[in-house]
Amino acid sequence: MPADAPPPSDGTTDDESVAIRTSGLTKRYGDDVLAVDDLDLTVYAGEIFGFLGPNGAGKSTTIDVIMDYVRPSAGSATVLGHDAQAETRAVHERVGILPDGYGLYERLTGRKNLEYAVALKGTGDDVDDLIDRVGLDSAAADRAVGGYSKGMTQRLALAIALVGDPDVLILDEPSSGLDPNGVRLVREIARDHADRGKTVFFSSHILSQVEAVCDRVAILDRGRLVAVDTIAGLRDALDTGSTVTLTVDAVPDRLTLGEVAGVDDVAVDDRTIRVRVAEAAAKVDVIDRVRDDGAAVLDVAIAESSLEDLFSAYTGGSPPDRDGPDAAGASLADADGGA
Amino acid sequence: MAASGIRPTIARKEFGDALRSRVVWGIVAVIAVMSSLSAALPLLVPEAGGGPEAAIGGASQFAGLLVPIMALLAAYLTVVGERESGSLKVLLGLPPSRGEVLVGKFLGRGGAVVLGIASGFAISGVVTAALYAELPVVAFLATTALTVLLAVSFLGIAVGISAVTATRSRAMTLAITAYLGLTLLWDLAPNGVHLLVTGDLPGTAVPAWFLLVRGLSPTGAYNALVQRTLLGGAATDAALGGPSPAYLDPAVFLAVLLAWAAVPLVVGYGAFRRADLS
Repeated sequence: MPADAPPPSDGTTDDESVAIRTSGLTKRYGDDVLAVDDLDLTVYAGEIFGFLGPNGAGKSTTIDVIMDYVRPSAGSATVLGHDAQAETRAVHERVGILPDGYGLYERLTGRKNLEYAVALKGTGDDVDDLIDRVGLDSAAADRAVGGYSKGMTQRLALAIALVGDPDVLILDEPSSGLDPNGVRLVREIARDHADRGKTVFFSSHILSQVEAVCDRVAILDRGRLVAVDTIAGLRDALDTGSTVTLTVDAVPDRLTLGEVAGVDDVAVDDRTIRVRVAEAAAKVDVIDRVRDDGAAVLDVAIAESSLEDLFSAYTGGSPPDRDGPDAAGASLADADGGA
Repeated sequence: MAASGIRPTIARKEFGDALRSRVVWGIVAVIAVMSSLSAALPLLVPEAGGGPEAAIGGASQFAGLLVPIMALLAAYLTVVGERESGSLKVLLGLPPSRGEVLVGKFLGRGGAVVLGIASGFAISGVVTAALYAELPVVAFLATTALTVLLAVSFLGIAVGISAVTATRSRAMTLAITAYLGLTLLWDLAPNGVHLLVTGDLPGTAVPAWFLLVRGLSPTGAYNALVQRTLLGGAATDAALGGPSPAYLDPAVFLAVLLAWAAVPLVVGYGAFRRADLS
């Protein structure tokens, strides 16, 4: 698994094992917008790679360069060893893309939209299979796309991305506008794709969507890469620990919790004792010590540091998006990096 | 892989879009009605005189004004509309290059407009033949072909405009400017130049350069070529009061028409190829 043992990124790996690589990638808009700042990123073949960051962090701009929608101000991007700008066709023949801020042909039916993509890619896919795979109703597929809901449109766009069973599948905020079933479907498609040795590059501003499916994640903030690791690795690196909350009959006068190994912080409020611990084993010790100190424990609650805490720790405390996939739909409007 | 079939695939889709958008049917109707009316005019107003040639000449006058509008309408949104809706990102995320997209769109929209013009003229040809019991076939076909060329010029301009602009409203502004400038204002330009150069407005006899300047717009070149087709070179000689110089040769005006198709396309491609589409 690439997640456990990513190949060395010292430049000696051959192109076959690298799906996407950016080197010193920089994109400037005008004089004062630096959308992407000297980004070095390596995505290995066969992994599901999460590309995380708040809105405006530069995620879509990075994907725009990889897809040659925009040209880098400096640096370069390659896909499967092909330069994104110089060998665009070779890249596009092996990549499937669900872009940010995309549109479809509203006057054509879903099926016609899909047939057009298949014809242009020259892959001869079975359109009904694709429609099936993304869970689009086959009656809906014969209606004009202009009447589609956001979720149906998103499923159709996903089907277009899957045309030709691409070696690299790039999904830019794929869950926006999807209901929970749709979000699950995106994960299943990503997993299924990776299980067959293909690569998935999955961008999102919602950590929980990426966490469930990605082998590794990169966190981007204000155009700069701030972390690349597995979710577990990120957790360990930040050492955010967990919080034990005890409800007691009465807080003992002499509370000796501070002496327990692994306890970082203790807060007392009325009949509640809140203890932050860095080590898992300290949780039970905390409960035992409170009882030894003479209190009866009425209730215990344990909270792992949330993924959102993790996310905001990396992105300089900018408040994370706590909403579900619906919030992602609204954020489509303010595209990344002055786009 | 799929490269060879990309342009025809895009062209086929654009052709279908143009047929669905009803612009093409508008072209058929307007050409058929206008040119049939101008064919009937000499019969309705006998003192105006003229035969089927005059009828074709009248039809070409209408065509010179209306075909540019219809060609612009048929194509000025073809790229920028997709750019604004975001479907261009899906299209360019597939194998087609930006150049192939432009060429495919030009061919597809062009095919639809040419079909519309040919159908409209076919209808008016039947009407003219029925009214006069004869049809000067060569002059008629030549005028139809020239009108198609005029449409192709404005299609090149329209696709070029669509490729250099980032928003629909900007494209519309440019399309309107192109229409007013190239069909209406350009007619006045030679008069203005004449006034500046000679201190007088042109009279019945005009200098040869005057005809050249007038024929440098697509519509001007079209009018010069139609006149040459229907009346021969004698009309030009009469206007100049002498033999016309080589630069008034029909080949020059033909080249002008083709250049108006090609140059905006090339300029449009140059800008589109470099554009950031985000």
